[in-house]
Amino acid sequence: MPDYDVLKTAMKSGKVADVRKLVEAALAEGAPAQEILNSGLLEAMGEVGQRFKKNEVFVPEVLVAARAMKAGTELLKPHLISAGVQALATAVMGTVKGDLHDIGKNLVIMMLEGAGFAVIDAGVDVAPEKFVALAKEHNAKIIGMSALLTTTMPSMKGAVEAIRASGLPAKIIIGGAPVTQTYCDAIGADGYSPDAASAAELAKRLIA
Amino acid sequence: MTGKEVLFKALRNEVTPRPAWVPFVGVHGGQIIGMKASEYLRSADAIVKGLSEAVARYKPDGIPMLFDLQLEAEAMGCSLAWAVETPPSVKTHPLEGGGSLAHLPPFDLAAGRLPIAFEVTRRMKESVGDRVGIYGLVCGPFTLAMHLMGNDLFMQMYDHPDYVKAVVSYSASIACKMAQAYIDAGADVIAVVDPMTSQISSEHFVEFVAPYVNQIFDVVRERKRFSSLFVCGDASRNLAEMSKTSCDNLSIDENIPLELLRDYSRSSGKSFGGNLKLTSVLLFGDEDDSRLDAIRCIDVAGSAGFILAPGCDLPYAVSPKNLEAVAEMAHDSYKREISKRTIIAKQLSSTSCDLPDDYAALPHVVIDVITLDSASCAPCQYMMDSVHRAVATLDKPVVVKEHRIATREGIAAMQKLGVKNLPTICIDGKVVFVSIIPDLRTLVARIQEVIKAKA
Repeated sequence: MPDYDVLKTAMKSGKVADVRKLVEAALAEGAPAQEILNSGLLEAMGEVGQRFKKNEVFVPEVLVAARAMKAGTELLKPHLISAGVQALATAVMGTVKGDLHDIGKNLVIMMLEGAGFAVIDAGVDVAPEKFVALAKEHNAKIIGMSALLTTTMPSMKGAVEAIRASGLPAKIIIGGAPVTQTYCDAIGADGYSPDAASAAELAKRLIA
Repeated sequence: MTGKEVLFKALRNEVTPRPAWVPFVGVHGGQIIGMKASEYLRSADAIVKGLSEAVARYKPDGIPMLFDLQLEAEAMGCSLAWAVETPPSVKTHPLEGGGSLAHLPPFDLAAGRLPIAFEVTRRMKESVGDRVGIYGLVCGPFTLAMHLMGNDLFMQMYDHPDYVKAVVSYSASIACKMAQAYIDAGADVIAVVDPMTSQISSEHFVEFVAPYVNQIFDVVRERKRFSSLFVCGDASRNLAEMSKTSCDNLSIDENIPLELLRDYSRSSGKSFGGNLKLTSVLLFGDEDDSRLDAIRCIDVAGSAGFILAPGCDLPYAVSPKNLEAVAEMAHDSYKREISKRTIIAKQLSSTSCDLPDDYAALPHVVIDVITLDSASCAPCQYMMDSVHRAVATLDKPVVVKEHRIATREGIAAMQKLGVKNLPTICIDGKVVFVSIIPDLRTLVARIQEVIKAKA
């Protein structure tokens, strides 16, 4: 069995070349792709998420770890596909209309991917109808919306209304600096998360 | 003593007869003269009118000239997206993907809207500069580097740290030129505003920020003016390193407990400012909420070296009445005492709280946590964290509500639940854990007992 602690340490410190080498070695050793993904990469990303939540690591550390995870999952992808492994569910993520900030949204995407979701990145300045169209197209179970500004936060309300009116069964999660649980309750979203790691936990709970 | 003298005493970390008061009027100036942010921030006449109105209504001891952290980026070739009620956002980053600094246009104090900033400074100095301190705001070097590089900056801190340092150093040289120009135009205080530093570790702050902001503070000191470091966002972990920089004053927003800043500032001999709540109180609250929040800041800060301020750019739509109420608290200690008593009494008698009428009738368990405010009180935050951790282990739905006694609702909930100490956890309306944060197993077990009893 491969030494997953070594792989996790390499991934958590963002060492792309080491992660590639260790994943290739694990595959060559005959370890199943899903096991490498779950016991190595996803577990490491989960730990990074928890440390981010506890203010022990910060944006740069999460970004380099996520990049290392991506390097590893790219090597695993063909093996996962041939083994018929599927994502937990699909999530559509975007920053709401009028808002161009994407660091928070990108962090949530990384955490969702790290938790096993397939994520469609709708980008920034996303209109309500685009959320609806992408969620329909990809049969998304989760729609995530981010806003950094108090002035763009109200766009979330319009998007929630558009999603509900479309009859889509997707659960809506929201977050961002000015957003609160109270606001989430007021606009009828399904969940609020104060940070990226909790967003992934919330999404998992909502589709359970 | 003029307001400016009170401000200067505070900046010298001396005891002041009352707290100095500096409302960070940026786009909010547009609101008070009925203009969109996108028009306001592009007109010297409009800004002078907005600031003059703010000086007349809010009676500040100091005021920033142009609160727009995109000014320098725009002058360096970044394109901007304009908005009605917020400062513009940077749309394009000339160094995205790792371009050479040599490809940037030379920094020119006559580029973009920079001349507007200096004209406003000259005109405001002339009209109110004898009694109000003039703040020139420069974009901090780390934030400006981010504008130039985009989000690439974070990854490049690992991949090409020397390149990032070169960009931050270049950005600091721009900030030094901006500081000189503001001082030439009449600024008394130079504030280096570097919000992106709240996103990095203290090790990275030491490596990528401290040496560069110090270059700016040194320039300001040579010119015999005051310097301040403004950081918006939760930079609590960086406070120790921030307090080792050579600025005169540290300014933070509601994301950092004021107590923490006070202690770090005192031990490093700096003055400090903050941390009126921008959104929950100034934007969404009323005059009494604003008065209470100002009193909270003043009581925590003590009488030496303190500047009452929001710590970050005031939102456009803040009610001017709320800022007038804060001004009243800063200027009049008698009104402060009266307000403290009357507002709290009024709140207790008139406020409804967000508690169910009958917990037993609900299908789920409700956990009410009464806190001072989990954003600014460490034990409250730990208690909230432990409740969330406990709830995450359960497979039954449990509703968690925080009632902050900084709000009227929180005070009313505290009274209705019979809570005497903070923080306290109540499960289904009953006081269960008082002040002591339970370990995870104990807390989960108590919640499960209530779930079981309900089933």
